[in-house]
Amino acid sequence: MKKALALGMTGLMLSTALAACGSGNKENQASESAPASQPASQAAGSASAGAPAEKTKLRVYAQYSDDDTKGYYDYAVKELAKEMPNVELELEIQAQDDGQKLKTYAATGNLPDIFNTGLDQINVFRKSNNILQLDEYVDKFGFKDKMQPSTLNTLYTDDQHVYAFPYAGNEFMLIFYNKELFQQNGLEVPKTFDDLKKAVDTFKGKGITPMSIFAKEKWPDVGFYDMFATRYNTGGISALDKGTAKITDPGYKEAAQNIIDLVKAGLLAKGSTNMNYDQAAALFHEGKAAMFINGQWEIEASTKALGDKAGYMYYPASDAATYEKNKFAFSGGGTPGGFAVSANTKNKDLAAEVASLLALKYAEFKYTEKGSPIVSTKVDKPVVKAFDPMMETLAKDIPNITSTTAFAWGLSNAKFKAAIEDASQNLLSGSSYTADQFIEDVAAGLK
Amino acid sequence: MNRFLGNKGAIALFTLPTLLLFTVIVFWPILQVFYRSMYEWDGLTVGQFIGLDNFARMFGDRLFYTSLYNGLIFAAVLAVLQIGIGTILALTIAGTAVKGKKFLRISYFIPVVLSVTVVCQLWLAMYNGEYGLINKIFEVLGLSYRQDWLSDGKTAIYAIAIVNAWQYMGYHFALLLASARSIPEQYLEAARIDGAERWKAHWKVTIPLMAETYKFCFVLAITGGLNAFANMYIMTSGGPGTETYTLTYMMYRSAFRVGEYGYGSASAAFLVIECLIVTFAINKLIARERIVY
Repeated sequence: MKKALALGMTGLMLSTALAACGSGNKENQASESAPASQPASQAAGSASAGAPAEKTKLRVYAQYSDDDTKGYYDYAVKELAKEMPNVELELEIQAQDDGQKLKTYAATGNLPDIFNTGLDQINVFRKSNNILQLDEYVDKFGFKDKMQPSTLNTLYTDDQHVYAFPYAGNEFMLIFYNKELFQQNGLEVPKTFDDLKKAVDTFKGKGITPMSIFAKEKWPDVGFYDMFATRYNTGGISALDKGTAKITDPGYKEAAQNIIDLVKAGLLAKGSTNMNYDQAAALFHEGKAAMFINGQWEIEASTKALGDKAGYMYYPASDAATYEKNKFAFSGGGTPGGFAVSANTKNKDLAAEVASLLALKYAEFKYTEKGSPIVSTKVDKPVVKAFDPMMETLAKDIPNITSTTAFAWGLSNAKFKAAIEDASQNLLSGSSYTADQFIEDVAAGLK
Repeated sequence: MNRFLGNKGAIALFTLPTLLLFTVIVFWPILQVFYRSMYEWDGLTVGQFIGLDNFARMFGDRLFYTSLYNGLIFAAVLAVLQIGIGTILALTIAGTAVKGKKFLRISYFIPVVLSVTVVCQLWLAMYNGEYGLINKIFEVLGLSYRQDWLSDGKTAIYAIAIVNAWQYMGYHFALLLASARSIPEQYLEAARIDGAERWKAHWKVTIPLMAETYKFCFVLAITGGLNAFANMYIMTSGGPGTETYTLTYMMYRSAFRVGEYGYGSASAAFLVIECLIVTFAINKLIARERIVY
């Protein structure tokens, strides 16, 4: 009897344990595939009208997590259905995970046919033969002629090959500011670090946060450091990445020291290194912060919130002469990246064609509907949403730009990228972190 | 029953499925970690064997020492707070005089069943430097002790450890309560007859008799602290800078952000050894003999 009972109990335990595993798996699968199937079926719905029954399915790995990124993808899918009704896209939503998901796909031989990617990942996949070289397709589709001449740097990598069809163009880091707050407090737009320090003191005295930055994400921190570094060496972090400058060059340390001094003086809101975009942007949009750090794509949101009170300033420098000299040496810039094709896709030609079309459509959407002329490719469609005045100003500045650098995601050396991301965030923490430690930490990443 | 336990074939048959799963899911990956820690490997291409170079590099890496130190702090905070407060609460509830025992018991356990993300978001709001509850309390009390809890490299690791301690305190409380309840009443009665007041009796009788549970709790709390990850990932992303890194976080950074899987495996291997040593030491130091009532 006892034996039977024991056997029965064990059997029961095993079966419940297995059942639990089984149901868990099913749920996971369902939640994984649910978001992916939705846009794909939309695509199928709009295309099925006059399309033949035979359709090729392609997996696409792209951003689709908020209104902004959904807008791009949905537009591209709609346009694709018109131009290539024989293709059906199956979306895999891009994760904000430093490329882990994509690398795991690559490691397991499961890479989507088309994927949105940046330079560091291109470099990894180039070595592991996971990414298709697109040179022949660039010629075949005449993609180079469709590019804006000033953005060819986003097409070719350092080995003069193409691995992704770009769309983003050369974007920039900007210091946005609230003109009204500066006027009300009798402040000029700062040209030197001393001016900036004076502004910080004045704003602090009035209970206004001088500057907000979403420093929890680390790329704005790197961009902010780069704005200072480019005042000393216009190559900024890009020069370090390419090895044309050394972190031990005096300018890099001075830039770090400038930031430390300003943060100690109260430049940033409390808890800045823990703020996400929504929190930091709210401070600026509600007129509680006088300055805000972001890329130029912020123009749309800031104009919406502050109207013509919002503007951007040239980066301050150590003295007025340097300010004038390096006024148009911008931080940021484009790097190769965009829609790439897996080396192991079954439909190489088709996938390449779709990837190039996606890139063109993304640029088209940005230009016509997002009010931004900053794209890689030429757009001949009429603008739906007019450019904001600040964007008009920037568009006039762009031809004068003497040099650009790179955003954190455009750095090719992953180890350097991680090191400077961590170190730049530390600069903003207002703790006892010194410029020497900064140099040491970044140097460790460059070893 | 004896006949059943004597049947080695049956035992093997029934343990085999679990053992097999355990081997595939736990043991094999751990072996892989040690094996891969001797490679320079990006996770995609064929790695290159470099012997113990990753470890040599790690022992010269400042980040390693920050991570190690933070793990120890985290473990210490968990051990002291979870087990200390857990004990006080468990012994209080185990006593007969407390009203609303069931309510208290449940409420202590609620944080355990909440998701880590929910708990972290809750505490993020409380720690906020501008409008957070904790700073507001200091303000109301008239103390000028406002802190930027999570952005200050010195306080951040403690602040995060407290969140984890708060969340899983209920778990230790439940274990300790069950253990305290299982001690026969007559021991405490005997102590009281000998003139010991309540807490003294607990100190001299209950707690020593709970040694085996403490052993388990210490292993959980300390190894849990050494390999902490989720809290810092959600609350500070290891920041400011690298101030709240632990060895697990260092592994994550090396493998997934930098793409150095070999180097990441080296820190993981070190962590496994560290946890094994701690577990071994706790087993040696606490409740060496089995306690039978």
